[in-house]
Amino acid sequence: MAEQNSGPRYWRSLDDLAQTPEFIDQVNREFGPEASEMNEVDRRHFMKIMAASFALGGIGFSGCRRPEAHILPHSKAPEHLVPGEALYYASSFSVRGESVPVLVETHTGRPTKLEGNKTYTPYNGGTTGKAQASILELYDPDRSTRHQKGDVTLSDAAVEDFIVSLRSKLAEEGGSGAAVLTEKSSSPTRLRLKKAFKAAYPEAVWAEYEPVAVDNAAKAAAAVVGPNLLPRYDFTHAKRILSVAGDFLGEDQGHLMFTKQFADTRRVRSTKDEMNRLYIVESNFSSTGAMADHRKRLAPGQMMSFLAALALELELGVEGNELKPILTPLADSLDTATREWISKCAVDLAHHKGESAVYLGSDLSPEAQALGLLINEKLGNLSKTLNFVEVDADASASIDELAKAIESGEINTLVISGGNPVYNAPAGLGFGDLLEKVETVVRLGYYFDETSSKSSYHISQAHFLESWGDGRTYKGDVVAQQPMILPLFNGLSEIELLARFVGAKNTDGHSQVVETFGGASRIFDKFLHDGYKADSSYTAVRSLVSGVKVANFIVGYEAPAATSKDSLEVLFVNDSSVDDGRYCNNGWLQECPDPMTKLTWDNAILVSPMLAEELQIVASDSLVQVARKNPNKVKDGRVFAPVATISVGGKSITGAIQIMPGLDNFTVVLPLGYGRQVIGNVGKGSGFDAYQIRVNDTSYASGATIELTGEEYQLASTQEHWSMEGRAIIREANKDYYKKSPDWVAGMGMESHSPAVYGKDKKMPTQQKVTETPRGGSMYEHPDLDGTHQWGMNIDLNVCTGCNACVIACQSENNIPIVGRDQVRRGREMHWIRMDRYFSSGLANNEIPKDPQVNLQPIACMHCETAPCETVCPVNATVHDEEGLNTMAYNRCIGTRYCANNCPYKVRRFNFFDYQQRNKDKLYLGPLAPKGMPELTQMAQNPDVSVRMRGVMEKCTYCVQRINQAKIEQKAKAKDSNDVKVPDGTIQTACSQVCATDAIVFGDISDPESEVAKLRENELNYGVLGYLNVRPRTTYLAKLRNPNPEMPDYSKLPLSKMEYNLQSYGDPAGHTGHHGSHGDHDSHDSHSDHGHDSHSEAKNDHGGSH
Amino acid sequence: MSKVFPKWFNALPLKIIIFLAVFVVTIVSGVTYYATPKYTRVGYQPAQPVPYDHSFHVGELGLDCRYCHSKVDQSGHANVPASSTCMNCHSILKTDSELLEPVRASYESGEPVPWVRIHQVPDYVYFNHEVHVNRGVSCVECHGQVNEMVEVSHEKSFSMGFCLDCHRHPEEHVRPVDEVFNLDWEHPGGIKGQIADGEKFVDEWNINPPQSCSGCHR
Repeated sequence: MAEQNSGPRYWRSLDDLAQTPEFIDQVNREFGPEASEMNEVDRRHFMKIMAASFALGGIGFSGCRRPEAHILPHSKAPEHLVPGEALYYASSFSVRGESVPVLVETHTGRPTKLEGNKTYTPYNGGTTGKAQASILELYDPDRSTRHQKGDVTLSDAAVEDFIVSLRSKLAEEGGSGAAVLTEKSSSPTRLRLKKAFKAAYPEAVWAEYEPVAVDNAAKAAAAVVGPNLLPRYDFTHAKRILSVAGDFLGEDQGHLMFTKQFADTRRVRSTKDEMNRLYIVESNFSSTGAMADHRKRLAPGQMMSFLAALALELELGVEGNELKPILTPLADSLDTATREWISKCAVDLAHHKGESAVYLGSDLSPEAQALGLLINEKLGNLSKTLNFVEVDADASASIDELAKAIESGEINTLVISGGNPVYNAPAGLGFGDLLEKVETVVRLGYYFDETSSKSSYHISQAHFLESWGDGRTYKGDVVAQQPMILPLFNGLSEIELLARFVGAKNTDGHSQVVETFGGASRIFDKFLHDGYKADSSYTAVRSLVSGVKVANFIVGYEAPAATSKDSLEVLFVNDSSVDDGRYCNNGWLQECPDPMTKLTWDNAILVSPMLAEELQIVASDSLVQVARKNPNKVKDGRVFAPVATISVGGKSITGAIQIMPGLDNFTVVLPLGYGRQVIGNVGKGSGFDAYQIRVNDTSYASGATIELTGEEYQLASTQEHWSMEGRAIIREANKDYYKKSPDWVAGMGMESHSPAVYGKDKKMPTQQKVTETPRGGSMYEHPDLDGTHQWGMNIDLNVCTGCNACVIACQSENNIPIVGRDQVRRGREMHWIRMDRYFSSGLANNEIPKDPQVNLQPIACMHCETAPCETVCPVNATVHDEEGLNTMAYNRCIGTRYCANNCPYKVRRFNFFDYQQRNKDKLYLGPLAPKGMPELTQMAQNPDVSVRMRGVMEKCTYCVQRINQAKIEQKAKAKDSNDVKVPDGTIQTACSQVCATDAIVFGDISDPESEVAKLRENELNYGVLGYLNVRPRTTYLAKLRNPNPEMPDYSKLPLSKMEYNLQSYGDPAGHTGHHGSHGDHDSHDSHSDHGHDSHSEAKNDHGGSH
Repeated sequence: MSKVFPKWFNALPLKIIIFLAVFVVTIVSGVTYYATPKYTRVGYQPAQPVPYDHSFHVGELGLDCRYCHSKVDQSGHANVPASSTCMNCHSILKTDSELLEPVRASYESGEPVPWVRIHQVPDYVYFNHEVHVNRGVSCVECHGQVNEMVEVSHEKSFSMGFCLDCHRHPEEHVRPVDEVFNLDWEHPGGIKGQIADGEKFVDEWNINPPQSCSGCHR
C-alpha cells in the first residue's frame, strides 16, 4: 500500500500503481477469488458423495490386498541400457533455421527432458522455453496420428506408392507444374536435397516462407555488401550496444548466444568490474527493452528515420555527400527530443569505436538494415562486433511468387512441407482459396491443421525427437539431430520425404545425414556423441559496406506519415509463447505468462496508456481512473478487458485490449500465433488471429484505427497474482552509485534496521550460521542442520533477462500440471518458479506512466532456515531435512493450506483439482467426469518425481531428485571411504541448467569454496524479506543499471526510488533534510526505511542519526 | 430404586466392557491385518512363470547375485535378468526342459517373461539399490536369505518403520563391502562384534543415512 511502502516503489499493473480498492481487496486474500468458497458443491451434496465413497471403499477393501504386478525384463538385454538410469543423447532443436544443441534425457527409450548441451560453449548450455516444451509436443494427444487422403486413412504402403507415382509424374515433366513450399532451414542435408531436387526437376518452383521475417538482413547485405552474406553479431567485446527494434535477448535468432555474451559483459561482482551499456529503441516492450539502460519509444515506421538521424551524427566521409540529401529529410521528421537522444547516444557509441554494436532487429526492413550496416561500419565495428559470413547460395522463391504462379494456373502439384501457410501466409494472398486451384496438394504436417484441411493429402510428420537430421547454430556450427524414439505414428521427416522425391537409394534419415556428412566414420560417431562438429562455423569474410550502394538502395524510401490516434501503426510480433502459431497446442507454453504482458492462454491488443487515454477509453485526469474505469478492469480479482476492433487496409480483427505501459503512444502491438481454427483441444479458442489483417509479410502496417465494441473479455493475466505488496524485494542502483557506496545493498530495505535475529551469534561465519541455526533468544526451537551439505541458491538479478526458460524447464522436470485458462483466471497456476515483472515510472501516483523501467525477478521457494510454513502445518507435512531443504511430504499433506497462508513469498501452490488426471474444461464435474491421463501424456512425465494428486500443496524442492541422484552417485563411488561430499557444480537444478546467463547458481553453502557460498558473501548479495528472520537459502544479487549521465533521459536514481521519494517526501531526490549526517551513505538509501520504527539493530554508521 | 434400575442393569458394565474389548480387538486386528505391510506383504509367495530355484542356483551352484541382477550396484533398480541371461547357460543345459519353455519362447519371440513382482515399494518411495549395496548393506537385510529359498517369498515388512529402523541404527546392519553379496555372512563376533564394527564403519565411511522425508520421497 502506498503509504506503507518500505522501500522503492514497484508496481505490476496500473491497478497496483493506482492502488484501486479492487486491487487492495484482491491482495488481501491469499488465494484469489473462490478459493475458500465451495461454490459448486453444497454441504448436503458433499456428504452424499462422501457417504457413497466410504461405501465403495468398504466393498473394495479386500480387492486392494496384494494386487498382482509383473516385471517385464527385456528378452535380449540391450547394450548400454541400465534399467532405472537415464541415458543422454546429443541432438538439436531447430526453429526458423537456427538449431540449438541439446542433450535429451531418455528413460528406457522414452525422451522426457531436454537439457542444453554445455559443451557447445557459444550457447553456454542454455535452451529456450520453447525447446523445453517440445517434449510435450512430442506427446501431444492431438498430434496427427495417420496419413490421410481427405478423411480416409492411408496405410504406410499407400503413402509410399503415392510418392512413387508423384515422383514419376514429376520426372516425366521435368518438374513443370510442380512446386514445393517449405519453411526456412539451416540443415545441410535439407540444402543438399534441395539442390538435388532443383537439379532433378529444373522446372519446379521451390519456395520458402516464414511468417516471422528472418532474411531481411540477408537482403540488405546482398544489396550493400555482397551476395551470399549474412551479418552475424558478436557481443563478446561490445561495451555499448544499441538495439534498433531488436529483441536479441528474447525472440530474435541467436538470442541464446547473445544472452550469454550480454550477460558476460554485464555481470558485476565487485566495483572494479566493467559493465556494458544497452540502448534500445523499440515500439513494443520486449524483454531486451526491459534490460536496457536507456530506452526510446518510437513507432515502427520511424525506425528508418531514427537510423538516418544516427548516421548523420557520425562521420560519413565522402560517402556523406550522397547520403546526406537522402537522410536529412528522414531525420528531420523526428522531434527534437528524439534527435537529442540520438545525438547523445551517438557520442557514446562513437566513443567506443570497435567496441560498440548497432543491432538491427530481424523485423526491420531491408533498407533500414542496410543503413544500420553502414552505421556499424562507420563505428568501426566490422570484423569486431559484426561480421559478414559466407553462406551457401540457397535461392528460393518467395510465397508471393508462388502465389502468382498458382494464380496463373501454372501449378498443378504443390508439396507443402511443414509451416502452416493457410493460417499464416500474408492475408493479401488469400492462400487458402488459392490452394483450391491446385489439383494435388500434398502436405507434410505434424498437426492436422488449417493447411492440411485444405490439402488433398496429409502425410503425418515425425517429430524432431523421432527423426534424423542436422542443422546449424547462429554461428553456423553444424549440429546433429538424433532420434530418441522410433516415430510413434510412423511419421516421415522432411528430409525423408525429399529423399524419396529425388529418388535417393536409401531414403531413411540416417543414410541421408551420413551422406551429407561424408560417410559414416569415427568422425561421424564423434559428431553424434558431441552433438556438434567442431570448427564448422560460417567463415567470416572481410567486406565493406558501400555507402554509395546504401544511398542507391534507400533512395526513394518514404517514411510513413506521423501517427495519431486516428492513424495508428500496428506492429506484429512473434509471440513469446506460441511463436508464430506453431506451438498453439502446447499447454506448457500457453500457460507460461508472457515475460512482459503476463498474459496466458490468449493474446491481446496491446495499447499504450496514452492511447487508452486519448481514445477516451478512460477519463484523462488520473491514473485511478485509467485503472478503474475500464482497461484491465478488475472485478473480484479478475481482469476484464474491453474488446476492440482494429481495422487496417480494409481488414479488421477483434480482440481484448491490454494496456501495456512503455509502448509507443500510437503503436498497437498484436502478438501473432493465436486464433487458430483447426487445432487440438489445448489451443482451441485462444486469442484472435492477427494474421488476418497482415496484408503482406512486413512487420508493421500504418493507418490503422481502433474502435471499442463495448464488450468485455476476461483475460487470464497473472500480473497481479502472488503480489508482494510493495516491499523492498528488488534492490537496484546505478553503477556509479555502487562505485561510490559499495555497501549500498546492505543498507537498503528493512534489514538495515531489523536484520535476521542472530543475537550474540551475529558475527558467526556463514558456514556455521547455516548449520547451527542460532536462534537469537527465540523461544521456537529449530533442530540443527547437520547434513553433509547445506543447499543454497543464488540468483543474479543483473543478468536475468526474464526469458521464462526456467519456468518451463521446471515444469518439465517436476511434472507440473497445466491448469487451463479458467483456473489461471482464478489465480491457481501451478508454476513452482515464477517470473515477477515490476514496473517503476518515477512519477507521482496519479500520473500516467510513459517510460517505465522494468525489473524482473524469478521467485521460487526460498527454503527458509526458519521456515514459517513449517510451524503452521498441523500434520508435519512440510519439514526441514538435515541439509536445509524445506521438504514436502505429499502423502502427509491434508490440504489445510495454512502453509501457503503463512509463506511470505507466496510460492506454494495448491492442487485445487486433480489437474493431471482431469480434462481442464470438466474440472467441476467431479466424479462424473472421465478420469485419467492420456497414455501419450503419461510418457512425458519424469519418472523420478511424484505426480501430485488433488488436495496437496506443492512447491519448489530445489530439484531434490537431482540432489539425491548426485548424492547416491557419490556414495556409490565412495564405497568404503568417507568421500561422500558431492563436488561443487555437480548438481544443477532444472532452472539453473537451462539458464544461458548462469544467473542461477546452486550448490552447497556450507562449503566456503563453492561458487554459491562465494556469491553469498558478495557485497551485492541480499535475501528477500530478510527482516522476517526466515533466513532464506535463496539469495539474490542486486541489480545494477549503467545509464549514461549525458543522456536526456538520465535518471540519477532508479525510477523506483524516485517514485518512492516523490511519494514519501514529495521530492524525487529524496529527503534532503538529513543529508550529511550519514557518513558515506547517500540519503536516498538510508532513508528508504523511514516510517518504520523497527530499529532493533541499527547499523553502526547509522547509529548517530536516528 | 429397583424400579429405576432393572435387574439386568447389573450386568451392563460387564457387557459394555466385553463389547468394547471385542470392538477394539476387531478394529485393531482388522487394521493390522488389512492395512499394515507386515501382514499385507510378508509371506507373499506368488507362483512364477518359471519356478526358478534360488536355493539351487545360488546356494548350491554358487552363482553371484549380480550374475542375473547385474545392474544392482549401478542403478536404483535391481534388474530382473533378460531371457538372454538365462539362455547363457540354458542354451546348453536342460535345453528341452518343459519348465524352461517360457524362457525359450521369450528368447525366440522377443516378448518378455512376465515375472510376478514380489517386492514392491509404493510409487512415492524412491528406494535405490545402488547406494545400499555399495555402502555395505547386504541384500539379505531386506530380502532375507534368498539363497535358501526354493520359491522367493516376501520376508520383511517393507513398512516405513522397517526402513527407518535401519536408517536410525545403521551400525546394526552395515558390513564390509566385500561381504554384501555373501548372504550367509554373519559377523564372527556375534551381535556385539557387529555393533562394534558397525560403529566403526559408520564413522569411517561417513555413513549418514537420511532420516528426513526428502531421502525417499520426491
